[in-house]
Amino acid sequence: MQDLQGLLAEYLPILIFIGIAAGLSVAMIVGSMIVSRQHPDSEKLSAYECGFEAFDDARQRFDVRFYLVTLLFIIFDLEVAFLFPWAVALGDIGVFGFWSMVVFLGILTIGFVYEWRKGALEWE
Amino acid sequence: MSELPIMGPALPEIFLAIAVMGLMMVGVFVKPDRALPLVSALAIAVLLVAGALIAAGGGGYQLAFGDLFVVDRFAVFMKLLVIAGSVLAIIMSEGFIRREGMDRFEYPVLICLATLGMLMMVSANDLIALYIGLELQSLSLYVTASLQRDRLRSTEAGLKYFVLGALSSGMLLYGASLIYGFGGTTEFGALAAHFGELESVPVGVITGIVFLVAGLAFKVSAVPFHMWTPDVYEGAPTPVTAFFAVAPKIAAMALLLRVMMGPFGGMVGEWFQIIWFVSAASMVLGAFAAIPQTNIKRLMAYSSIGHVGYALIGLAAGTEEGVTGILIYMAIYLVMNVGTFACILSMKVKGRMVEQISDLAGLAKTKPAMAAALLIFMFSMAGIPPMAGFFGKLYVFRAAINAELYTLAVIGALASVVSAFYYLRIVKVMYFDEPAEAFDPVETRGLKAIIGVAGVIVLAFIFYPSLLADNAAVAAVSLLQG
Amino acid sequence: MEAAIVFLPLAAAILAGFFSRFLGGDRFANLVTCSFVVLAAVLSWITFFRVGFGGEGAEHTIRLFRWVASGDFVFDWALRIDTLTAVMLIVVTTVSALVHVYSIGYMSHDPAKPRFMAYLSLFTFMMLMLVTADNLVQMFFGWEGVGLASYLLIGFWYHKPSANAAAMKAFLVNRVGDFGYGLGIFGCFVVFGSVELDQIFAAVPDAAGTTISFLGGEFDAITAICLLLFMGAMGKSAQLGLHTWLPDAMEGPTPVSALIHAATMVTAGVFLVCRMSPIFEYSDTALTVVTFVGASTAFFAATVGLTQNDIKRVIAYSTCSQLGYMFFAAGVSAYPAAMFHLTTHAFFKALLFLGAGSVIHAMSDEQDMRKMGGIAKHIKFTYAMMWIGSLSLAGIGIPGVAGFAGFHSKDVILESAWGAHSGIGNYAFWLGLVAAFMTAFYSWRLLLMTFHGPARADEKTMAHIHESPPVMTVPLAILAVGAVIAGVALAPWFTGHHMADFWRDSILILEEHKALENAHHAPMWVKIAPLVFGLAGIAVAYWVYGRGLERGRAAGQFLGPFYQFSLNKWYFDELYDFLFVRPAFRIGKLFWKKGDGRVIDGFGPDGVASTAGRAAKAISLLQTGYVYHYAFAMLIGVVLLVSFYLLFGH
Repeated sequence: MQDLQGLLAEYLPILIFIGIAAGLSVAMIVGSMIVSRQHPDSEKLSAYECGFEAFDDARQRFDVRFYLVTLLFIIFDLEVAFLFPWAVALGDIGVFGFWSMVVFLGILTIGFVYEWRKGALEWE
Repeated sequence: MSELPIMGPALPEIFLAIAVMGLMMVGVFVKPDRALPLVSALAIAVLLVAGALIAAGGGGYQLAFGDLFVVDRFAVFMKLLVIAGSVLAIIMSEGFIRREGMDRFEYPVLICLATLGMLMMVSANDLIALYIGLELQSLSLYVTASLQRDRLRSTEAGLKYFVLGALSSGMLLYGASLIYGFGGTTEFGALAAHFGELESVPVGVITGIVFLVAGLAFKVSAVPFHMWTPDVYEGAPTPVTAFFAVAPKIAAMALLLRVMMGPFGGMVGEWFQIIWFVSAASMVLGAFAAIPQTNIKRLMAYSSIGHVGYALIGLAAGTEEGVTGILIYMAIYLVMNVGTFACILSMKVKGRMVEQISDLAGLAKTKPAMAAALLIFMFSMAGIPPMAGFFGKLYVFRAAINAELYTLAVIGALASVVSAFYYLRIVKVMYFDEPAEAFDPVETRGLKAIIGVAGVIVLAFIFYPSLLADNAAVAAVSLLQG
Repeated sequence: MEAAIVFLPLAAAILAGFFSRFLGGDRFANLVTCSFVVLAAVLSWITFFRVGFGGEGAEHTIRLFRWVASGDFVFDWALRIDTLTAVMLIVVTTVSALVHVYSIGYMSHDPAKPRFMAYLSLFTFMMLMLVTADNLVQMFFGWEGVGLASYLLIGFWYHKPSANAAAMKAFLVNRVGDFGYGLGIFGCFVVFGSVELDQIFAAVPDAAGTTISFLGGEFDAITAICLLLFMGAMGKSAQLGLHTWLPDAMEGPTPVSALIHAATMVTAGVFLVCRMSPIFEYSDTALTVVTFVGASTAFFAATVGLTQNDIKRVIAYSTCSQLGYMFFAAGVSAYPAAMFHLTTHAFFKALLFLGAGSVIHAMSDEQDMRKMGGIAKHIKFTYAMMWIGSLSLAGIGIPGVAGFAGFHSKDVILESAWGAHSGIGNYAFWLGLVAAFMTAFYSWRLLLMTFHGPARADEKTMAHIHESPPVMTVPLAILAVGAVIAGVALAPWFTGHHMADFWRDSILILEEHKALENAHHAPMWVKIAPLVFGLAGIAVAYWVYGRGLERGRAAGQFLGPFYQFSLNKWYFDELYDFLFVRPAFRIGKLFWKKGDGRVIDGFGPDGVASTAGRAAKAISLLQTGYVYHYAFAMLIGVVLLVSFYLLFGH
């Protein structure tokens, strides 16, 4: 029983975190419902706002730019996800760890320059 | 503070990686119409430098990156073949990619990236390093297959290759995880040591090997993991097909050899049936399925399936002689294939590239030199002495006989008889059919040179077999002693 | 010298056949073949006198080089020169030389003269190889070689379908005989352990009575060998049963008929029996068979000769008939008589053929006697020659004094048959006498139809009739001399008192076979009978054909079926066609359509190929183009491999 107590105690911060997240979300949605002006139309009320019908045939033409943006986002999203543990453990992994990340970032930068020059970031 | 790992042996790969990124920058910063020729030329230069570095650096057995990376004579041999294949693929694409609407500097860059992946594969000394190299290579290839993105078949080829490639990668990873689970490590040397101590091999390990082999067999397009090959070969732009037929095969074969002879080298008796089956099935299917084909590229796809089957005979033998045979076979295969594709790429009928066998009708009358060259390559592919192709088969068959794999050798011999049919049919069409259409001259100097040199090599191999055979033997020894 | 005799014709054949084109064409071919063969003939006569009259020790063997040495099977290329060979040498080379010369004229309009001359010389070489052979295999080489040359020459006018058919027929019918000959050689090797003549002959007395078992039956070894060898002789010499090719062989140019199908090659069978006399002597059964076949042939061929209308066919059946005489002479152990008749026959029959050739030449290639007649005054020389030949053939002479060549040899044969004092001997004697009657009849029928009576040819042909050039008439004259005097000159040596000195060891006649000896003491009626029968034949011929063809036609109608039977050659061709040719074609078709086409091709090349094609189609059907099928295939593959290990791995 004592062990279980201890175990659960370790998860207490997560519980608190969940609580804060839930409260914050509720506050934001409720706040926007109360404060903002509402002009709903069918597009705005649909589940996504990316050019897709929410419930429709999967085999459908779509604008490839949505995917381009998404893919580029994912790359940098992952980069950030990678950077966090690296930053935390930098003291332990030393010079090799530092330069490894620099090389990684350099390669990403090259890719970024490439997509910029190719015009992938321009919508029109 | 941890030490910096040893990186010296990987210098060619590091150079290539940096250079490829440089090429990308060059490509986007120069004017679009000048980008392709410039990047192509630079890519060839970069690959040649990398090749030179490989040749200069490679002697003895060296490890790098915490034993993830290994360089030995075997790696040097295979890497040089891969580089040769890549360089030739870029040279052969000149002209074609400008004409056929794939005028993009990304093509040489992707080739270089794929080459980098292949070099990594060849040098992989760890299941994870293996996977990284494999994926770098595969992803680049998926893109090159669909580089002609306005053509339906090209995109279809790319997509099929990608989906099935993903499946095979999944299998490979699953196998690797099983092996890791039973071996407790991913490093080849440690795995070999671990399995060497086992009295009997656990079924899980065998299952892992099956999955691993399945993943790699996909890359070398061996039966039954070959299904993508004809479709992709046919759909992909022809220079890309030429590249597919050569470099990735060599790299994947190198990887297969290193994995099977390295960590699992002690248990040949346990896994040779897998290779036996895959080899026999590849030879038979390659021989029979090519017969009804009318498209040269599809035909070459089945031909390459068959050739992989022959090469795998050497692995099934599991001996040093067998490995030597494979190395020789792959080198000769490279020359024959590059020569054949160079011929295909140099011909155009009615404003489209030659793709049908019937397009070759009467080639002997309209273009005698080209027909003669193609004749030489076809005879060589069919394994008719004194062409080089005969010796390739000879070495692997001899290895099989010495390893007492008589059935496999007989299947191989019969399959090569059947396959001679479709190779000779091309010769027949060229020499005995009436010319249907006039050919448009499209051959470039590069193509001409490739055809000429490849033809001479195929013909002259009989006089200097030791040039290749000795090096292959040294490479085989270094792989087995590694 | 003997080697030169044999190889000169070969050299001539090679030079004329391969090099005429470069060395002067037709003239060169004519010159080289004629001069070489004439030279060989001269050398042959020298050899003949040296060996035949040289007494003991003149015979010898020239070993050229080793041919086969395989265990006990050892023999050489060697030339055996004894009296028998010497006789054959002069016959072959003399007739050959004359025919060569004659051919220059006869073939002067032919575009392929060098080929013809080369074939003739090649034939001569092969024939000489045959007669000089020291072992059975070498003889077989010559045997087949003359067969080849005969085939080539019968089919010389290869644009004529009938010539091609005749050539094939000759070759195929001879195959039957050669099969027997081949078996005979095997038998000799089995029984005597050798194929060399000397060793065989030495071993025969000891081997008498041994048996060979074959298919469960026991056969007397020597009889079996003799009969097998005789089967070969029957084929080559066109004896009853295997005779059908000889009349058809007349499709060849007439000089060929004279040389090959009258004087030399067809007598090879007789020569073989005489050469093998040391074996035949030990088998009474075999000798009886030889006598029976010979006598029957003599009779049969003569009956057919009565009614034929083609001038060459008449002579061909006559040849067949005369060969029968030679065989039954050999069959009653009168080998010298057989050889004697062989020699004289060579002269007068070659004369007749070449004379017929001269007639045909004059008549613009007409061979049907019904379309001749009344040409005696136009070609007097030929007419005279034909008379001499016919007189010789009919055996006209004065008993006890002298006569034409054929008279001496035929008489001694018939007397020997009588002298055998056996049933089969009498059979041969009486049939021979009847045949002699018929021989005389058809000979004069030929003469009368061809030369006498009203002219039946059209005017154009008649206007064109001319005597042949000297190059053709001179050989005729020489042969005519032979046909007249050969009998008188050679009789004492061949069959007379000097016989033993002459033949010495080349022919063996056992003590108990006294036919030839008895012949000398035959009663007068036996000596006269052949002449009487012959004269009677001539008389009948004059009565029937003396004034044209009407009586002949009437006689044919009167005799009805007999006439048809003879005219159609006893229906042998039809019988063989029914018995062998058609079934062979049917069997061939069966093997071809069913055996080769359906079974071998079906399961072999075609079957494998179409199976491969079907397999290929099936495999390529797997290539559906659907990604999920491909993925499925990969998974199936993995599952199969893993299950294999789970089930059988350990």
